Amino acid sequence: MSRVRSRAPATRRRPYPPARLAAAAAVAALTLVPLFHVLGFVVAEGPEQAADLLLRPRVGELLRNTTGLVIAGCTACAVIGAGAAWLVERTTLPGRRVWTVLMAAPLAVPAFVNSYGWVSVTAAVEGFGGALLITTMSYFPLVFLPVAAVLRGIDPAFEDMSRALGNGPWSTFFRVVLPQLRPALLGGVLLVGLHLLAEFGALQALRFPTFTTAIYEQFESTFNGPASMMLAGVLVLGCLLLLMGELRLAGRVRVARLGSGAARTAAPHRLGSLTPLALTGMAALAVLALGVPLGSLARWLAVGSSTAFPVVALLTTTLTSIGLGVAAAVATTLLAVPVAWLSVRHPGRVSRLLERSTYFAGSLPGIVVALALVTLTVGYLPALYQTTALLVAAYAVLFMPRAMVSLRAALAQVPPELDDSARALGAGPSAVMVRVTLPLIARGLGAGTALVFLAVVTELTATLLLAPIGTATLATEFWSNSYSLAYGAAAPYALLMILISAPAAWLLTRESRSERLPA
Amino acid sequence: MWHALTSPSARRVASAVAAIGLAASLAACGSSGPTITLYSAQHQDLNQAWIDGFTKETGIRVEMRRGGDFELANQILAEGDASPADVFITENSPALSLLSSEGALAPLDSATLSQVPARFSSGANDWVGIGARSTVVIYNPALIAADQVPNSIMDLSGPQWKDRIGVASGGADFQAIASAVYAVNGDAAAGEWLAGLKQNAKIYQNNIAIMKAVNAGEVPAGVIYHYYWYKDRAESGQDSANTELEYFDRKDAGAFVSVSGGAVLRSSENAAEAQRFVAYMSGRTGQQILSATLSLEYPVGNGVEPNPTLKPFSELDPPEIDLNTLNGPKVISEMLRVGLL
Amino acid sequence: MTRTSVRLHDRAVAADGLRVTSVSKSYGPTPVLRSVDLTVAAGALTAVLGRSGCGKTTLLRLIAGFDRPDSGTVTIDGREVAGPRGILPPEERRIGYVTQEGNLFPHLSVAANVAFGLPRRERRAEHRVAELLELVGLDAGFARRRPAELSGGQQQRVALARALAPAPGIVLLDEPFSSLDAELRESTRRAVVAALAATGTTTVLVTHDQSEALSLATRIAVMRDGYIVQEASPVELYQHPVDRGVAAFVCAVVVLPAVVRGRIAVCALGELPVAGPATDGPAAVLVRPEQVVLTGSGDGVPAHVVDIEFYGHDALVRLALRGANGEITARCPGHILPTIGEWVLLAVQGPVTIDAA
Repeated sequence: MSRVRSRAPATRRRPYPPARLAAAAAVAALTLVPLFHVLGFVVAEGPEQAADLLLRPRVGELLRNTTGLVIAGCTACAVIGAGAAWLVERTTLPGRRVWTVLMAAPLAVPAFVNSYGWVSVTAAVEGFGGALLITTMSYFPLVFLPVAAVLRGIDPAFEDMSRALGNGPWSTFFRVVLPQLRPALLGGVLLVGLHLLAEFGALQALRFPTFTTAIYEQFESTFNGPASMMLAGVLVLGCLLLLMGELRLAGRVRVARLGSGAARTAAPHRLGSLTPLALTGMAALAVLALGVPLGSLARWLAVGSSTAFPVVALLTTTLTSIGLGVAAAVATTLLAVPVAWLSVRHPGRVSRLLERSTYFAGSLPGIVVALALVTLTVGYLPALYQTTALLVAAYAVLFMPRAMVSLRAALAQVPPELDDSARALGAGPSAVMVRVTLPLIARGLGAGTALVFLAVVTELTATLLLAPIGTATLATEFWSNSYSLAYGAAAPYALLMILISAPAAWLLTRESRSERLPA
Repeated sequence: MWHALTSPSARRVASAVAAIGLAASLAACGSSGPTITLYSAQHQDLNQAWIDGFTKETGIRVEMRRGGDFELANQILAEGDASPADVFITENSPALSLLSSEGALAPLDSATLSQVPARFSSGANDWVGIGARSTVVIYNPALIAADQVPNSIMDLSGPQWKDRIGVASGGADFQAIASAVYAVNGDAAAGEWLAGLKQNAKIYQNNIAIMKAVNAGEVPAGVIYHYYWYKDRAESGQDSANTELEYFDRKDAGAFVSVSGGAVLRSSENAAEAQRFVAYMSGRTGQQILSATLSLEYPVGNGVEPNPTLKPFSELDPPEIDLNTLNGPKVISEMLRVGLL
Repeated sequence: MTRTSVRLHDRAVAADGLRVTSVSKSYGPTPVLRSVDLTVAAGALTAVLGRSGCGKTTLLRLIAGFDRPDSGTVTIDGREVAGPRGILPPEERRIGYVTQEGNLFPHLSVAANVAFGLPRRERRAEHRVAELLELVGLDAGFARRRPAELSGGQQQRVALARALAPAPGIVLLDEPFSSLDAELRESTRRAVVAALAATGTTTVLVTHDQSEALSLATRIAVMRDGYIVQEASPVELYQHPVDRGVAAFVCAVVVLPAVVRGRIAVCALGELPVAGPATDGPAAVLVRPEQVVLTGSGDGVPAHVVDIEFYGHDALVRLALRGANGEITARCPGHILPTIGEWVLLAVQGPVTIDAA
């Protein structure tokens, strides 16, 4: 018998299809507009100016705060999100349906509404601890949802195998389960990190200065564009670190299941006497993330003297928010398809570069992205300036990472062999996309669309600068009223934001409860 | 992006959105006639009251984009000559000074300027005051006796205030106050004051945060603009019930009032209508509207009394300061030096 | 559009089979195919047999168009689909392709899977789907099911029906039965071969399973290290393997030193007739275990039974020859077996092969 030889390397690097490469490059170029805007300023300022602005104690403090918040926030979201997902999906915790919904629901509560709710309860949430608490409560569902979806799909045979090989439950979790969760977990954590870098509304109220709040301050205090852009340059570096870190940790793993036959459903771990403890923990999470903001909204509706329900205004702003949210969510998700597809189906230097470049704008404050688009359109595309189309493009630039992460995860689940089968049956590349790939990633498309919708509904700065004149969204009205201290008048808008976000959050729980693709 | 919008469903959504936006703007203004575009950082109830009154009086419609002082000023700069804005109104004057120094503002009609005392307008005659807020000390009587509340803002740099005073040094409001200190007391004294304040102050993000903190007993006193306190009292008192206000002494740098202003953009294609709107806001009718709304700012127009709940404007005696020098590079670099920024 | 008008039973008319000429392919520095030639006659079923890693799947993917050859040409039904003049994408090659996993589209019903390759207006024609399902031995009731609700064998049958639906010029089967259990494998093989025969479709079957190749194929091409080392009918391959390696791979074989004189090889098992031409002198003879017969009496070479591997229908009996230090394996029917340690006499039936190498 001859010795078993390893096969020829399986990396059949196929050339990038030119049309899709062009589409992906165009999308990446759009999302890179803010980055180039920032870099243009940084280069124009020159190294001396840069050193003056960056090498001072205040920047050190911002760096400490921002780094600390990103590291702690990502860790907290990872632990809480993954922990809750494990409790809900893999244990005998009672009421898993209800918990799934409750764990996704915080996505429907904008972070700044959350901090507004907390701040009106206690001033103790100011500073690092408060910032960490509130951002974690707002963003942990970004980890919970993808991890829950994967946990539901993991074939328990792997765990059995590990136990049979002598690993205990913990060792099995870390050596077998966690590696399978890794892509989903890291994708969620990356989103959390980007949001923490760019977060302004929630942190502003909490006396916790980060680069993003400092950029707003800089704009406000000195009207000094270059200085703000310099700080934004630091954010870009932070984003770069996040992206490289994620890439390094994620590695390249085939997620699509190999082998035939349907996977068994896992037998849930028995919580036994720990059940009350687990229930208490989950309930506490729900109260912290949902109860506090909703409670204080309700209180404002009751006590605020400015509380009013101007039906027509509420209705038109609600419809505007929904319309913009849907248009932007659909556009963003469709734009993300070519980039995500290329990066999953043709992994390589170019496709990775294109995919990674779409994340930068997500780490930049809305004001920087919006001003970049103002400069671009006023200078080169004046007909587009302050049109709905431009606003939708701005949303796409800002929230592309949400769609990208969802689509990548979904595409990775589709065995590439299906493409071959369809090609052999006479379907051309675009027919394969429309008839096979897109239907198979329908849930991923839905998740991406829902996540973008949630973000668009609460977006403020780009909306203020770029919306067609006279456009009022729920977010701008909430801002305008709460800024005038008319919290009572602001509350109905916040409530409506939460109400129209609820279906999207619900959709996301459906996604996480989806069953695996049959082999 | 654009290819996505050409898909039928996206087009339908986009046109639905456009229709909604149109319906909203039509609902806001029913009459026909010329239309001007306002970029406003002022509070919404005040905006709307001015626009409604102006349109009723002149038939000129006003479209509005809202945002913060800094957002809109930066946007106008980025837009350059292509700016759609005709009129810009602010909460504080530095944003107007910036645009003035960049040559983005058109000279105002002299009749408009004469409606407001000269010290509330631009020395370059290209913006006019339309409202004012006064600097005050907010304090918590449970933590500090009324007679210990300082009469001069200069006292706040003394060691007795260590960790006992809240300021929002990152905001334009505080920077205007610091500018006033420089203007009134000279560079040396002001520099020492800033350094002392850096030692003493608890830094908050904005006036509202200071008010909440004082109300909650987290810090005994803070420096804010008056109307935050009055507005909170009018809304519910939830963030001000445990606090009182104290105005600084006459002519003290702390008695400084910050001016909200209005200006016509040099790039405006509707200059005549824009001039009329600024004249309206700073005129008697516009100023009376300001007094009547819940904005609780002080009117600056000649012969118009403020809202009766406020301390009468005649009892305030702010120091003489050239508003165009506020928040200048010197103040900012000094604040950077002591680490307040 | 013409392909859709071809009825299931008409398709052999224009067929000219498959011709692969001098095809080479490397991945990086590793050559995977080295100047491969392969011809499959219209309507024939050729099995490409080889161990994993020999290049057979790569060959299939080049024929299908998922990869492009570095050199050489591929012609299907007289049409060049890969060669110096260019590469035709898979969807334009009129091929049917069935893989180990079947790869049914999980989001589509069985009917929609089968109809996937049909032009849009024909996809709803239920009778077509029913016809095709019947062809692979499934009743029409399966049409509404989801792939996840089918057994592995049923999935493979549906995959074949899907591949046959657009009346392809050639069907490519990539280890289609290897993920099935033994019993299912048998019935699925029968159904698949019957369907292919009924439609007269030219077929290439890639497999590592010798008995599968021998029982299903009309021709077998044995691949090793990127070369096709022998291409022959199953019987020819069995009787006249080109070398010891092929012989051993196709079936178990006993190799004995011998001296050839005339058409007779003299070895430890006696004087044995040689099949085919042979030069005189020392050589190695290849004896198949099933040629070795155990007799209780009469002529024969004495040996004693060392070990027995029992399979039911037959058994492999390991024997030690007296005097000589060689061992012989014989395949005996399951119902008449010696006992271990028993002395028996051995005879060889039929001619033996000389190892050319």
